[in-house]
Amino acid sequence: MNSNIPTGTCNSGHHLSRRSLMKGLLTTGGVVVANWGALTHSQTIAAEAKRSGKRCIMLYMAGGVSQIDTFDMKPGRPTAGEFRPVQTKVTGIQVCEYLPNIAKHVDKLGIVRSMRTRTPDHGPGGHYMHTGYHPGERFPHPEVGAMIAKYCENPESDLPSFVKIGSGSGVYGAGYLGPQFEPFVVSEDGKVPGFVNPSVSAEIQDRRGDLLNFMEQRFTEQRKGEPFAAHHTAELRTLRLMRARQVFNVTAEWEKAKDRYGDNKFGRGCFTALKLIEAGVSFVEVAHGNYDTHNDNFPWNKANFALMDPAWGSLMDDLTQRGLLQDTLVVWTSEFGRTPAINVRAGRDHFGRAWTVVLAGGGIKGGQHYGSTDRDGFEVAENPVNEADYCATLYKAMGINPRAKHYLGSRPIWATEEGAKPIQELLG
Amino acid sequence: MANPFSDAKILYTLPWNSDVVFAVAFIGNDKVAAANRRGDILIWNLPATGDKTPDPAQRLIGHTGPVNRLLVSPGGKTLISASNDRTVKFWDALKSEGNPGTIVMNDGYVRAGVSVAKLPDPPPPITVKVVEQKPIREFTGHKEWIWGLALSRDGKTLVSGDEAKQVILSDAQTGAEQRRWKVKHWVRALDISPDGKLVVTAEQFPFIRDGDTDVGLHGWDAQTGEMKFDATKQFEASKVLNVGPTSFRFSDNGKYLAFCLGHIDRDGPAGKVFLLNPTTGEKVRELTPSHVRGATDLAFHPDGKHLFTCGRDRVVKAWQLSDGAQVHEISLAIGDKKKQGPFTPTLHAISISPDGKLLAVADSSGQVVVCTLEDRKK
Repeated sequence: MNSNIPTGTCNSGHHLSRRSLMKGLLTTGGVVVANWGALTHSQTIAAEAKRSGKRCIMLYMAGGVSQIDTFDMKPGRPTAGEFRPVQTKVTGIQVCEYLPNIAKHVDKLGIVRSMRTRTPDHGPGGHYMHTGYHPGERFPHPEVGAMIAKYCENPESDLPSFVKIGSGSGVYGAGYLGPQFEPFVVSEDGKVPGFVNPSVSAEIQDRRGDLLNFMEQRFTEQRKGEPFAAHHTAELRTLRLMRARQVFNVTAEWEKAKDRYGDNKFGRGCFTALKLIEAGVSFVEVAHGNYDTHNDNFPWNKANFALMDPAWGSLMDDLTQRGLLQDTLVVWTSEFGRTPAINVRAGRDHFGRAWTVVLAGGGIKGGQHYGSTDRDGFEVAENPVNEADYCATLYKAMGINPRAKHYLGSRPIWATEEGAKPIQELLG
Repeated sequence: MANPFSDAKILYTLPWNSDVVFAVAFIGNDKVAAANRRGDILIWNLPATGDKTPDPAQRLIGHTGPVNRLLVSPGGKTLISASNDRTVKFWDALKSEGNPGTIVMNDGYVRAGVSVAKLPDPPPPITVKVVEQKPIREFTGHKEWIWGLALSRDGKTLVSGDEAKQVILSDAQTGAEQRRWKVKHWVRALDISPDGKLVVTAEQFPFIRDGDTDVGLHGWDAQTGEMKFDATKQFEASKVLNVGPTSFRFSDNGKYLAFCLGHIDRDGPAGKVFLLNPTTGEKVRELTPSHVRGATDLAFHPDGKHLFTCGRDRVVKAWQLSDGAQVHEISLAIGDKKKQGPFTPTLHAISISPDGKLLAVADSSGQVVVCTLEDRKK
């Protein structure tokens, strides 16, 4: 048997699963015997995903989404704005008239109406809501996707464990968890970057791999060390990704799905997220829109919702119908909310004092809202939730200890800051 | 270059700090109506001399959503309004009696900044006694927000268009629907030609993130709803339409067709104004220099020779139609004229009195500005 990888090169428990590497990259007679079956056969994919446990899809509304125009409406108040609320099948929960598809799933939603966060600026706000920590912290904290990837990744999968579809929500990185949990960023419509497409045939690639292995074995015999291993691991991950890239290609199925999801980048991104989750990816983040509506908030948001609602609603439909929702946490979030007051340009500005995120699926008790705001929406009236509480809730729902301890050198560092409280009322 | 508007100046600023003032229309030569995002419509009687700023005299009650457009029938008998509440309402523009009422002119929320810890206390209310009136009828054929509103020059046919992509022709007297057809995108503006044969629509779906806004500029046979021209394609290469059309109008003599761009606020000279061939939709010329950040509305002067536009740069421009030259500019800049930015209040709409002597502007900073276009002392 010939192998294009030397055995024993993964010398760190943080790195690729040795078993997975062997499974993915063994060759025989110059032909790759890769993990193709599990990646191309949908029933196998589904079974694989079910075994792997929890997954998470984050729908990130870039720019700061308005709570009063979506899930915390204030009908009859001066801050109500131009959208009408509609009553849902859950008593006490009204949603915007332009969210009909997601309104159908309100019994699965846990609506947190009492987010009170510390910064109303895009960069720091995005960092806070992705990591639970202030961007000025000395330590490089990982974003939620990296943490979930670390604890929930499927070691058998050739796919990345953390995928961002579009970079509109910012890339905050894996921080102290290490480069193996950095997000794999694809374009807004879910298409992979060009480097994933091999420039030569598998046969030529294998011959090149053999040559490289020969040279690297000679080199590494005299120079043991992490940098070399990391370089080699990166190379192997790229090779594996090249072989698994077809999972990202949803073109054939998209033809049937696009009328439901909406034939636009966010719709396709949500559908790709479904397929990736189904294939065993632990965390997928899909960014949408420009919710930074300082001007003309209402026509802009109406257009945003026209794209967001069918995509999110269809994602919920498909997760439910495929039996995936119970193990898939769906998070609808942003970097902050928007002012209750409507400014002189018919816009709403940045606002972190009282806003809304929505959780659904895996581990969340739906059909309820948590916390509330005052009658005009200016202040949290009960049960304030900060960034750390929010991250702790996500981790808890995913089966991760929110106070999991890690080390940066010899310094201990925790998944969420001291005092972070998961919202127990939402956790099933 | 002759400038017939060189003596133009502000005559009145009518404060109305309740919600964003979004639409304006003259009723005859001595009354002006304005509407806001709260759905209120006020009417001011304008004194012959500009010594004292008048208070509003009438409040028109009925809309439950923002009013996007106002227009007045020929002869000034009827005021017509189109709203996000999915109705077109008709009001008796000449009636001056009604129920007594009181309005607060300064109950708008002050801008709540990003780090506000507590809203400031509201200022002492400024109240005004008015006469309250209700609509004389309404048209309820739309199921979505109505942004397109026009009346045929004989006053008999109303054309309205909405964000369900529906264009509806109806009898302006009876409200009976005559025909409807579907266009490609949300209707932002429309008009009907002076001979009543052609309807033009400016359409847009603000697909804002990708910059590939879906826009349409079309001409339709008013009798059949059949498309007569698509003026969109000639602008596709330049992508100038991506900021979205805001107004699309024929001149009353039918010789000109103009549209302007600026639905989305963009840096730089995005507020372009174009003249098109009124029969074929082909571009005749671009009027330059463009408004900065966006052009929001346009109105032909009754003299048939000039066009007025307003924009996000808080400028009103007067253009000479024969050669496209800008002949005059009225700046309503707040502070330094060059520093009008994305957070500067916008001029949303303009109207010119039937005699061509006055111009009114709906200003989102909380006022209606009335300008004289001639030297009243001459």
